[in-house]
Amino acid sequence: TMGLLDISFLSDLKRMNKRQVFYQFLSFGMIVSSALMIWKGLIFVVVLSGSMEPGFYRGDLLFLTNDLEDPIRAGDIAVFRIKGRDIPIVHRVLQVHERDDGYVKFLTKGDNNAIDDRGLYAPGQLWLEKGDVIGRAKGFVPYIGMVTIVMNDYPKFKYAVLGLLGIFVLLNREA
Amino acid sequence: MSQENAPIKIDKWDGNALKNALDDAAKKIMNESYGLVESFKLIDGRLALCSIAVSCSLFALLWDFLYPFPASKTVLIICVACYFILTGVISVYLLYFEGGVFYVGLEKDKAGIDPDDKWTLQSSLKKYDDQYCLKITYTGGVSKQTRSVERVCSVTEFFDEEGTLCYDLYEATVKGLKDSLSADKKAK
Repeated sequence: TMGLLDISFLSDLKRMNKRQVFYQFLSFGMIVSSALMIWKGLIFVVVLSGSMEPGFYRGDLLFLTNDLEDPIRAGDIAVFRIKGRDIPIVHRVLQVHERDDGYVKFLTKGDNNAIDDRGLYAPGQLWLEKGDVIGRAKGFVPYIGMVTIVMNDYPKFKYAVLGLLGIFVLLNREA
Repeated sequence: MSQENAPIKIDKWDGNALKNALDDAAKKIMNESYGLVESFKLIDGRLALCSIAVSCSLFALLWDFLYPFPASKTVLIICVACYFILTGVISVYLLYFEGGVFYVGLEKDKAGIDPDDKWTLQSSLKKYDDQYCLKITYTGGVSKQTRSVERVCSVTEFFDEEGTLCYDLYEATVKGLKDSLSADKKAK
């Protein structure tokens, strides 16, 4: 009877016309897009290292706000990007220097690190500027980000999940 | 298509497959027996909306890739907002405009002068239920009046024990429904 089920399962698909096939792909696209939009829309980062322990652990999910009006103060946890590198860093602001003309520069350090972040900055860079800062951590959910870490460490896992999702959606014809 | 006249066989316990099989057969009957021309405007509308939504998200992805956050913040917010508004629109579209319509057929006026008459098929089959409801609606091209007839049957009337669709039985039912509407039309 397994054979019977195989045939009948695919017969549903064979009867689809071009438009319905296109719609199957679109459905898949919509699901991926929804996930993508939530990802981009909510704007969050996953903590990748233990440099902020015991506050944040590897795998925690941080929600960010990027409130340009609210000035960054020493003690805030800022999320920033070093020029030339993709991966954002989440560390605490140690020093803030402001000039009368509004120019601000920061020095950051991970709570769990022995030294400040100057070793992480680009060669010759001693301070971070406003443009480097993506936002500030405002809330977090523990452990959930582990999925992203696994997906990054084992890219094949990411493709496997996407592949399975694709197969499920593409071959399942909704009435 | 060699599949054209092969009997449709499905898993009789799969509600989705049941509805799809009955819908497909009804479409075939309308197209072949009555020479109606299928209109794809409704489906195309849905496809267009979904395509726009997906393009929105792809555009946002591309933009963020070229101009990493926070430079892309405004564009991202616009795209995300657009995407979710579009998703809402699509839901409304599916619910109200399509509402279970799986076929729209146009009956061309023989003289070629008057606008086409429209035959719309809608169906519904609740999950785990066996009651298949088929509704045929006729919209006069000239008179713009609508008349419809609907019939609820158990799917067991059309599928045998192995899940094969008894096309002849179903054809008789669908034709009966449509002819009853046509008879109405002529009587008026």
